[in-house]
Amino acid sequence: MKAAAFQYERPGDLPQAIALLAREGAKALGGGQSLGPMLNLRLARPALLVGLTHLDPLRSIADLGHAWRIGAAVTHARLEDERLAGAEMLAAVASDIAYRSIRTRGTIGGSLVHADPAADWPLALATLDAVVEIEGPSGRRRCPAETFMQAAFTVDLAADEIVTAVEVPKTTPDAAWSAFKFCRKQGDFAQASAAILLDPDRRAARVFCGALDGPPRPLPGIARRLAEGLALPGDTVERELGRLVPDLDPIALRMHAAAIRRAADRLGRSA
Amino acid sequence: MSDAALDVNGRTVAADAPPRRHLGDWLREDLRLTGLHLGCEHGVCGACTVEIDGAPARACIAFPAALAGARIRTIEAFDDDAVMASLRRAFSEEHALQCGFCTPGMLIAARDAVLRAPGPDEAWIRREMAGNLCRCTGYVGIVRAIVRVVTERQETGLALPPSPPTAPATIRVRRSFVPREAADPAPPAPAGGAVPRDMAPRDMAPRDMATRDMATRDMAPRDMATSDATGWSRVEAHFIVARQPDATWAALADFPLLARCFPGATLTGHGADRVTGEVEVGLGPIRATFRGAATVERDEGLRTGVVSGAGQDGRSASRTRAEIAYRLTPDGPDGTRVDLDVAYRLTGPLAQFSRAGIVRSLARALVADFARRLNAELAGRDGTAPPSRPASAIRRALARLVPRRRRR
Repeated sequence: MKAAAFQYERPGDLPQAIALLAREGAKALGGGQSLGPMLNLRLARPALLVGLTHLDPLRSIADLGHAWRIGAAVTHARLEDERLAGAEMLAAVASDIAYRSIRTRGTIGGSLVHADPAADWPLALATLDAVVEIEGPSGRRRCPAETFMQAAFTVDLAADEIVTAVEVPKTTPDAAWSAFKFCRKQGDFAQASAAILLDPDRRAARVFCGALDGPPRPLPGIARRLAEGLALPGDTVERELGRLVPDLDPIALRMHAAAIRRAADRLGRSA
Repeated sequence: MSDAALDVNGRTVAADAPPRRHLGDWLREDLRLTGLHLGCEHGVCGACTVEIDGAPARACIAFPAALAGARIRTIEAFDDDAVMASLRRAFSEEHALQCGFCTPGMLIAARDAVLRAPGPDEAWIRREMAGNLCRCTGYVGIVRAIVRVVTERQETGLALPPSPPTAPATIRVRRSFVPREAADPAPPAPAGGAVPRDMAPRDMAPRDMATRDMATRDMAPRDMATSDATGWSRVEAHFIVARQPDATWAALADFPLLARCFPGATLTGHGADRVTGEVEVGLGPIRATFRGAATVERDEGLRTGVVSGAGQDGRSASRTRAEIAYRLTPDGPDGTRVDLDVAYRLTGPLAQFSRAGIVRSLARALVADFARRLNAELAGRDGTAPPSRPASAIRRALARLVPRRRRR
C-alpha cells in the first residue's frame, strides 16, 4: 500500500524542529524504519512529518570520559561498525537488529522513542543504565532509560519534545555483559529477550527482561545472584520472573526465563 | 511539494514528488529505473534494496522528500562495478536466480555483504542475507554464489583482512560482588493500571455465563488460550463500580453513557439492543477508527450480558470482530464487580502490529479508563465526588493511548 498524504518539513535547527512538532498532527521522523511500514500500511497517518536525522547535534558521538554520549540520529550500523570502547554491548546489540539495510537507516533514538516492546534498544539501554537526553520548548531534561518507556509504543516524551542523545556509562575492564533474544528468524522481532550487565568495580548488577507486553522489567533478585556468583537454576528464574511479571502466560514465562538463562550462560564465555 | 534534490546514479534530480511517494515508486514511475522491484512495500522482503549514501537501504520505506542531498544508486548504476560483475557471473553459474524478481535487491545486498564479509563464512553470509526474500527458494544457489565471490576476492588479495563484525564480550575474571542497588522492587502495577483490585490470574466467570452457547456461532471457543490459529484472542479483565448491582446493571444499558465513558467512542445510533458508532484507537503512532455495529443481549436474572460487534477501519482496511461477555456480582455492601471476558479477532494491516500481549495491555488500559470514567459519571449524577486515584506513569501512559484531540 501507499502512505496517506502528509506534509514533510526539514527544520534548520532543534528549536525549529520543536516548534514544528507542536503543530497539530505532527510526528517526528527518524530513520523511518518502523514508521515507514506503518505509514505505508496507513496505520500511522500523521499530517506532518518533521525530519530530524540531518540535524548535526543529533548525529555526533562524544567521549565524555565516564560515558559515551550518542546522538539520537546515530544509526544502528554506525554503532555496529564503531565498537565504542567501554560500551561493547552496543555494537553487539546493534549488529543483531533486523538487517543491515535497516540498520543503515534506523536510529538509536528513533527506536527508543518508537518503543516497540520487542525492540532491542529499550532493553539494552535500560540494562546499561543509560540516560535519555530530551529537549523541548522549556529546555533540556534527562530521564533514565529504565523509566523512559512506559508501555507499548508509549514513552515519557511530550509531542513537542525531542530525544537528542543517550548517555551510556562506560563499563570497567572487569565487567561482564550479554544480551540474548529468541527470534523466529534472523532479523525478526524478538519473542523473548534478556540482557545482563555485571560490573564489579561499579558494583552494578543489572538484569532486564524484554519483549514483554510493555517496557523491559528489571530482575534485581537474579542480578544479585549473578553478582554473588551463585548458580541460576531454572525454577529460581521462573519463580522470580513470575513474581515480578505476573501477566505472563505459562509459555511466555518459560521462554523469557530461558532467554534470561541463555544470557546468563553467555556471560562468562569469550568469543 | 518539496524542492529537495537528490543524486540518482550520478545525475542530479529534483525530488518534485509529493512527500507521500516512496523512493521505490519515485525511481520506478518518475525516473523509469525499473530495475528496482517492489514486493511487500513495508520493508520486509528486500526486493527494493538500493544504495543510499553508499549503504544498502529499503527504497519502499524511504521518501525522496526527506532525502535532500542523498546519493542513490540503483542496480542500473552497477554495470561497471567489479564486485557486481563478479556477483552477476557467480549468480548465473550457481543458479542463484529463477524468476529474477528478488535479484536486483539480492545483488545490492550481496555486494554489501561481500565488502563486509570477514571471510567465506556461509553462516555469516546467511545471517547477513536474511533480509532479502526469494520465493523461488534459490537461497542455496544465492549463498553459494556469494561464498564464491568472497573466496575469489580473498584469493586475489582483494578482500579486507578478516575481522569479526562483532566480538561478544570476552570475560577475563568473574569475581563476585555485592551490587549497590539491592532494593527489590514490588511487583509492577498491572498493565491495566487503574483496575482496582488484584490482577493475579484467577478463574473467570463460568464459561456458560453468557445466555447462549457461544461455541455454536462463528466465534472463538471460550476455552482457548490467548490466541489460536483462527486468529481469535481473549482478554479477561474486571473492574469495580462504586454502585450496587441494580444501579450498575441499569448503567450498563445506557448506551449514551457507555459511549461517553469508553475512550475514543462516538455513538451514531442506538435502539434497545443494537448500537452503531465508531471507536478511535491510538497507540504510539498507530491510529485507527473502527466504524461498526454491535448487538447486546442481557439476562436480567443472571446479571450477565453479551455484546457482539464488528467494525472496520476504512483507511487501513483492518477489520475487527469482538464479543464481550460480562457478569455482575456484588462487591461489598455498596459496590459491583464487573467481570469481562473479551474475545476478539483483528485482520488486515493492524493485525501485523498487534501481537497478542500488546492488544491485551491496550484492552486492559481501555477497561481501566472506562471504569474510571464510569465511576466518575455515576458519582457526578448524584453529586458525590468521583473516586480519586493516584497519578502514575501508567495514568500518563493511558492519556496517550487515546487520541490527542488538541495540541498546543
